[in-house]
Amino acid sequence: MLHNKLAMAIEQSCQVLIGKQQQVKLALTCLLANGHLLIEDLPGMGKTTLSHTLAKVLGLEYSRIQFTSDLLPADMLGINIFDNNEQTFRFHPGPIFNQLVLADEINRASPKTQSALLEAMEERQVSLDGETRPLPSPFFVIGTQNPSHQSGTYPLPESQLDRFLMRIQLGYPDKEAEKSMLKTQMGNVQHAVETVMDIAEFIELQNKANQVHASDELLNYILRLVTFSRESNQFANPLSPRATKALLSSAKAWAFINNRDFLIPEDVQAILPAVAEHRLRSASSDFSAQGSLSKLLLEAIDPIAA
Amino acid sequence: MFKRLKQKSNDQGTAQSSRNIALLLLAATLVFVSFSLFSSVLTWILLLVACGAVIRGAIYYNYYKHLPSIRTLNLLALLSILGLIYSALSAGLLFGMVNLLILACALKLMQMRSQKDVYQLVISLFFLIGCGFIFNQSIGFSLFYALLCLTLLLSLACYHAPSIRIQKQLKTISILSLQALPIGLLMFLVLPQLSPLWHTPKADGAQTGLSEQITPGDIARLSQSSELAFRATFEDTPPVIQQLYWRAIVMEDFDGKTWKVHGYRKKMRELQLKIKQQFKPILTGSFFNYEVIAEPTYQPWLYALDIAVPADPKSSRNIMQSSDFLLFSQQPLANKYQYAVRSYPKALASQTLSVTDKKINLSLPANGNNRTREWVNKLRAQFRNNNDFVDAVLRHFVDNPFVYTLRPEIMLVDPVDRFLFDNQAGFCSHYASALAYALRLGGIPARIVTGYQGGELVKNPGESPYMSIYQYDAHAWVETWGDKTGWQRIDPTALVSPDRIEFGLRQAMQEEGSFLADSPFALARLTNIAWLNNIRLFLADLDYNWSRWVLGFNSEKQRDLFKSLLGKLTPERLSMLGLGIVVTIAMLLGLFFLPHWLQNRVATTQRLYLKALSAFEKEGTQRATWQGPSAFNQQINEQYPTKVSDPFTHITQLYLRLTYQNKLDTDSSILSVKQCHRMMRRYLALLKSELLKN
Repeated sequence: MLHNKLAMAIEQSCQVLIGKQQQVKLALTCLLANGHLLIEDLPGMGKTTLSHTLAKVLGLEYSRIQFTSDLLPADMLGINIFDNNEQTFRFHPGPIFNQLVLADEINRASPKTQSALLEAMEERQVSLDGETRPLPSPFFVIGTQNPSHQSGTYPLPESQLDRFLMRIQLGYPDKEAEKSMLKTQMGNVQHAVETVMDIAEFIELQNKANQVHASDELLNYILRLVTFSRESNQFANPLSPRATKALLSSAKAWAFINNRDFLIPEDVQAILPAVAEHRLRSASSDFSAQGSLSKLLLEAIDPIAA
Repeated sequence: MFKRLKQKSNDQGTAQSSRNIALLLLAATLVFVSFSLFSSVLTWILLLVACGAVIRGAIYYNYYKHLPSIRTLNLLALLSILGLIYSALSAGLLFGMVNLLILACALKLMQMRSQKDVYQLVISLFFLIGCGFIFNQSIGFSLFYALLCLTLLLSLACYHAPSIRIQKQLKTISILSLQALPIGLLMFLVLPQLSPLWHTPKADGAQTGLSEQITPGDIARLSQSSELAFRATFEDTPPVIQQLYWRAIVMEDFDGKTWKVHGYRKKMRELQLKIKQQFKPILTGSFFNYEVIAEPTYQPWLYALDIAVPADPKSSRNIMQSSDFLLFSQQPLANKYQYAVRSYPKALASQTLSVTDKKINLSLPANGNNRTREWVNKLRAQFRNNNDFVDAVLRHFVDNPFVYTLRPEIMLVDPVDRFLFDNQAGFCSHYASALAYALRLGGIPARIVTGYQGGELVKNPGESPYMSIYQYDAHAWVETWGDKTGWQRIDPTALVSPDRIEFGLRQAMQEEGSFLADSPFALARLTNIAWLNNIRLFLADLDYNWSRWVLGFNSEKQRDLFKSLLGKLTPERLSMLGLGIVVTIAMLLGLFFLPHWLQNRVATTQRLYLKALSAFEKEGTQRATWQGPSAFNQQINEQYPTKVSDPFTHITQLYLRLTYQNKLDTDSSILSVKQCHRMMRRYLALLKSELLKN
């Protein structure tokens, strides 16, 4: 029953993002694993559309913050304003007090604002003027960013990239998909998307995804991967224990989306590029190798070996 | 890159040197084994062994890199064989074989190049260590050989896994040996103690201990030796020390100087051995039982107290009794020999004195010792009664200032005369010889008995008391014939030096200081220092228990052990015991292998799946190392017709299920692991046949 709703959610989203089923599933996986998502691509590839669609399909409160170089933390978190009538300070919550926040072009904001956001992401609460205010639950941030070598950007440091459970790239659609997009979506199609579930159902799905069984053999596989990243001299930044946890929880959500109640190595392999790529950094200064780091990792480890 | 290369060559270097250590250890083992057999190995073979070891050492320390060429070695081998044949022809089979083995090992050590050579040498060395036990069986040597076995194992391990550090190897080897120890112990205790299928070749050692002839002065040599002669374990309290005359050899042939075992007796014994006829003494009165463990002497004589018979069936099979009430073994004692005896101290040694016996025991050299002859004739004229005459002769020893000494003067001409009337100083054999001669002159049959007197008693609470009898306890005394009393013991030494009989040689020689004077470091000499004496007694105790319980563990002891475990020995109980032991060993092994086996159980899934993979590999489709099982299944589905891919899909599904599914999910519909394995096997067979058809 719930699984049907999940399938429907994917189907609905795919109507909007034609030919991007893999990315849609990954994004949904990330949300099911209760993690934040970073979408990295060139402008106009559908980053905003994806996040918007997900919010709508899953029935989450949604807000969007456009990051610019002059955006201040207060613009995002909210401020206390003195109310003349009641003679007190009243808190005006900022756009971050929503269940799904789209942080658009996150690398255009100054590091100060970036870190304020990332702190909120990690703690799931906001501290302002000595008062701590919890953020709504569930709370997701979908950050989008342009590739860092574009002008006018402050690239996120590794420590902050680590806070995002996944980083995905959308990429160009293939010819067929683009053609059907041209045929069907000349209007605003997002209105056609239906909300398929409510918050309670979504949280139940999250819980169920977390209960997917991971056998010892599979945990060993994950550990072998992680250990390899630490022992091999090809990686300057190996995978952290947080990354290990991220691998497991995302693989569980992925298996759940694929309607399985136990993990197989393919689950790990499917989510590994999204989960690990932004956390790894090549030891060699050769940038052309950067794109294949997770592939390098995957191909080094035999999932079957005992 | 360079660094890595260097490291690699370093690794190779250490691996190489570790292998060299292995070979060096082999060399050392060979050297130690051959030198432990020092007395029975030819000197030039020892030299060859040393050469081999030196070559190995030189190679290890990089002084030299080349082994001698095969041609050189062949020539050397040929020459050595010729030399060995020459020496072995005279020395006997065992000697020749041991030398041949050592020679072969030494040459192998020089030639050793390949793995095969190392194995051959290791196995030969194990065999050689086994041979070592023919010659040395004491507790010290056993430990030493055990250590050499460990060294051999260590060298094997080093040779096989050169990259592992030697300390770690040593640890592994020790653990393995410790694990083998209980099983070895159990097998020692319960395996049937079969008598060997062929006789262990006897080592021909130099005869030690008492000899078959005695010239006064000989025992002085023995009394300088603190070596163990034998040990006796008594069931109850042993007799008082004055009664402990351990008879070994009877001598009846006197030529004026030297007493010998009479040729007639020797012939009789040979005849007895041939027709297997025992002499049966008449036994009366009370008796006591004891067990003797005799040290090897390479002579057949056994030690026993007065009128002794073998006490258990095994002893009576191997021990002969001769008409002079002696026990002798059918073979010379080349190893420690254990036997059980029963003595009847009250019984009279009173078989009839045959004419031959009488003739032998009265025979005298034609001339010499004239003063003694005159003296005896005078005494005999005075005392017609035999007893009075004997007393009168003995009184001569008491009335004159005779001295008991271990440093008598050498008396070459008419020794009895000079001893009786001039020197009047000597020890047991002088006294015995003079007395026996005098009695024979007086017409009383007399003979000399050599053996041991006394011993060191050790009484540990809760154990049977045992005595250690050392070579310095060697003694000689006289037996005379009386028509009513039979053969009776007379010990003139007891008259001269009662201390010797009552307290032993050490006490008797205290003033003279000649006790063990030639071996200043003998522990037995230092009994005055309490802790040294304690150490000596402890070592003696250890050696005694080793001889008794380990070397002396024979089929009879084994039966006693079973008896004490089972009570009565019935076939059912014995078979139950056997079954129990087998089951115990099986269970021990099971416990040992169970974890391994369980691991293997889990891996069955993996194994079956890998078999399926290798079936495809033969067809040319190989799984990329990183490919997961279901991804590979997809690939197979695309590449192969459904007839082939279907069974594989099933196998994959079962594999995924067994490996990754939650095992705690015991749904009744879920097949058991065994069923899954069976299905996997079935699909595997199907898959293979389909692949063949393709």
